[in-house]
Amino acid sequence: MKVPGYIMRKLLAGIPLILGVTFVSFLLMVYFGPDKTYELLGKNPTTGQIEEVRRQLGYDRPFLQRYVAYLHELATLDLGHSESSGEPVTGLIARTLPISLALVLPGFVLGNALGVLLGLLAAWWRGGWLDRLVMGASVIGMSVSFLVIIILLQWLLCTPWGVNWFPARGWAVSGFTSYLWYVTVPSLALILVTLGYNTRFYRAVLAEELGRDHVRTAESFGATPGRVLFGHVLRNALIPILTRLMFSIPLIVISGSLLLESYFGIPGIGKATFEAITSGDQTVLKAVVGLTAVMFVLLQLLADICYRLADPRVAAL
Amino acid sequence: MRRLAPLQYWNGVVLLGACALLLACGPNSPPAGPPGERSYVHSLDGAPGSLDPARAGTLYANFLVVNLYDTLYRYRYLARPYALAPNLAEGMPEVSPDGLSYTIRIKHGVRFIDDPAFPGGSGREVTAEDFVYSIKRHFDPATMTQGAWLWQGRIVGLDEWKAAGADYARPVPGLQALDDHTIRIVLTREFPQLLHTLAQGFAAVVPREAVDHYGPAFSNHPVGSGPFRLRSIDSARAVMVRNPDFRREPFELATEGFDPASQSGLGLETLEGRSPPFLDRLQVEFIGEDAARWNAFLSGDIQFTKVPATQFDQVLASRHPVVPAAEFAEAFGFGASLESGFVYTHFNLADPRVGYHPEPTREERNRALRCAIVKAFDWQRRNQIFYYGIGQVFPGIIPPVAPEFDAAGGQEYIRYDLATARQLLRDHGWTPDNLPVLEYGFPANVTERQMFEQFRAFMEELGWPRDKVKPLTYATYGDYARAYARREIMLITSSWNMDYPDAENTMQLFFGPNASPGSNSSNYNNAEYDRLYRLAAGMLPSEERTRLYRRMNQLVMSDCATISGIARTLLFLWDRDLVMLPDRAFVGGYFLRFVDVRTAGREEG
Repeated sequence: MKVPGYIMRKLLAGIPLILGVTFVSFLLMVYFGPDKTYELLGKNPTTGQIEEVRRQLGYDRPFLQRYVAYLHELATLDLGHSESSGEPVTGLIARTLPISLALVLPGFVLGNALGVLLGLLAAWWRGGWLDRLVMGASVIGMSVSFLVIIILLQWLLCTPWGVNWFPARGWAVSGFTSYLWYVTVPSLALILVTLGYNTRFYRAVLAEELGRDHVRTAESFGATPGRVLFGHVLRNALIPILTRLMFSIPLIVISGSLLLESYFGIPGIGKATFEAITSGDQTVLKAVVGLTAVMFVLLQLLADICYRLADPRVAAL
Repeated sequence: MRRLAPLQYWNGVVLLGACALLLACGPNSPPAGPPGERSYVHSLDGAPGSLDPARAGTLYANFLVVNLYDTLYRYRYLARPYALAPNLAEGMPEVSPDGLSYTIRIKHGVRFIDDPAFPGGSGREVTAEDFVYSIKRHFDPATMTQGAWLWQGRIVGLDEWKAAGADYARPVPGLQALDDHTIRIVLTREFPQLLHTLAQGFAAVVPREAVDHYGPAFSNHPVGSGPFRLRSIDSARAVMVRNPDFRREPFELATEGFDPASQSGLGLETLEGRSPPFLDRLQVEFIGEDAARWNAFLSGDIQFTKVPATQFDQVLASRHPVVPAAEFAEAFGFGASLESGFVYTHFNLADPRVGYHPEPTREERNRALRCAIVKAFDWQRRNQIFYYGIGQVFPGIIPPVAPEFDAAGGQEYIRYDLATARQLLRDHGWTPDNLPVLEYGFPANVTERQMFEQFRAFMEELGWPRDKVKPLTYATYGDYARAYARREIMLITSSWNMDYPDAENTMQLFFGPNASPGSNSSNYNNAEYDRLYRLAAGMLPSEERTRLYRRMNQLVMSDCATISGIARTLLFLWDRDLVMLPDRAFVGGYFLRFVDVRTAGREEG
């Protein structure tokens, strides 16, 4: 099948998904989500003022009318203004999303690269002391709370009680050097918290691959360990690895960075989303939910294309 | 063919990264500003939602708003008890003999900052009409104001102006600009707290051009005439710079209420004769997480912090009196002050299970039930566990920071007396079988849950079956507020920050007509209380008024309408290089214009 047609088919197939996700999330938001009314009211409100605010927020309109308006906003990217700060939501997303991406990218890439590397080593020497060491360390890494890791790293690396090399908070990035200055500790925290999960997953995938016939055949032909691991095992295990990578991205960007952004004072989209949830800022929430759904569809498409590139058998289907 | 070659590239990348990292790190220091710039990084434990004065309902928003905008009055920086001072106003108002008409003159030559909202981008002079417009905005439904309650029903014609469609072209008889620099406010009835309301961020003066120009985004585009102007704001911080056109008014220690006995040693004497603001750049970091704020303070990323309760052990050498540990006293400036409000648990008296009841016998039994709960509540344990033992427990609803506070009276109300509590239950026929289920509401967070568990333990000691004390949790504060506004919660745990230093502000919490959804969330309804409230409403501060307030406090306590209360002691630490007396109560954000940096200290540092 031609690639453009394939992409088009996938995109069209994504529309029901987007409609489903937005409908369900909007339903939950309207009937079970936080109510912004009482956040906006003064200290001694009257019933009339409560009604006024509800009217201003559009809470008095029928559900379907609100949902259709929401879809229209998504389609036109006219997402309105934040009910809390008044900032245009498109501007808010454009301002915060790149920061979150820049924040999590190094930790995400290094966490996964190290995970693959350690998974390869553990799988190659499975059952041996190295395997047990890596898996034991992974379990410990998985058991420690993200929050504890953040506070400990801040204390060790960012205060005079430790080495005090890095800032405990801030994001005044003006170039590569300042970027490294601000991103190092958050990235270390992200690596430490994800490495255990990544390593265990990759080790399982790679160990399974190592037992396959084609690996034994390669070894019989006298391929070196490096050739076997990187040329045969890793390449053939790419499909589950790609799947994990692709579908981690939205979660990492939207929710994974929340703690990092809160504790390091980084104005990214995770914190903006969290504040929208706790304060009931439905305009921001609707936009984030809708765009996350769109992101999932696009990443699914990207994952499919990557599968085709990584494994010719997929392309032949 | 060998495929390990890519590893060589990896080596290069790792080496490059390591070099860059070494370049990047080193002794931790924030990016430096221009040489000679006086810069200060403050911290708050929450973020403002909006910088529109009409929506500056939180302490955090108010902190920033009063620095970006002008209000007619402000609180004197150093005076304790708190006292008002003219700000944009030229002086204190002329008040008519009947106390209903206030004439206020504003300063000449005060200008809004330059902004694209103005024709030509150049800020114009602030006029009396701007003040009139700013107050009218609170009564325009489109504003979604949080501050209208301060003036509702109090200014002649203002509520009618709203009812008639909030047309800004229509005048309000009680709110007029007599000329460019004279304001006349006419009240419907005496309201001695009016000047306090004009010192709130809600009363800040905004230009109509900016509100029209920015629309909803006005919340993030402050255009004021305050000592600072906003350079940037996001969810983590606000950066402000000095407003170069801010009026030159020399600082006078005597006028600000300097007390050498308690305030010398802070370096405040060096401010005499100089014109605030003293900072070129003011950065405010919003850090809700205690551990992050503490680490940021230790690392030097922020220069001021409210000390998290988890660090009290480390910071204090003594609790009574509050004395900092030597290492902190040497390294930092230190301050401790009572908050301007209190924490309480109200009974919802509209709930017939614990409150008012159509049957007089049952109503009397319910009162005994509430009084038993009050007596079984151990404030000392609450203070020890949640406030490190340095909160101040007080009886009723006049907190220690209010001038009308009675240090000696009503102590019986907060005395833990389990025997009497049990006796009360027995005498009124309450047994474990017929005791009602207590529903204790709170917004979901760990501390609130812990407080609930402690309350349940107190009730178990009283003889309440454990399964009859239930938590009602709400995901957000908004949901919680909605529930108690709808009278759905039996026991409402909350706190109240006083808006101004006058007990009227807490007395109105039990005024019958303010019942839910108003601020009287306990739905207290006592004719004698309401009569006294109305009687005191028009009185200027006096012994007679204080006597009435205390009588009203007594009524609330004898009806056992609330389990109250405790005022928290707040601890502050700041860099030694700073000259300041931080305040979180009524002076609030106004103190930031008076913060200075010891230049010599910085150079030596």
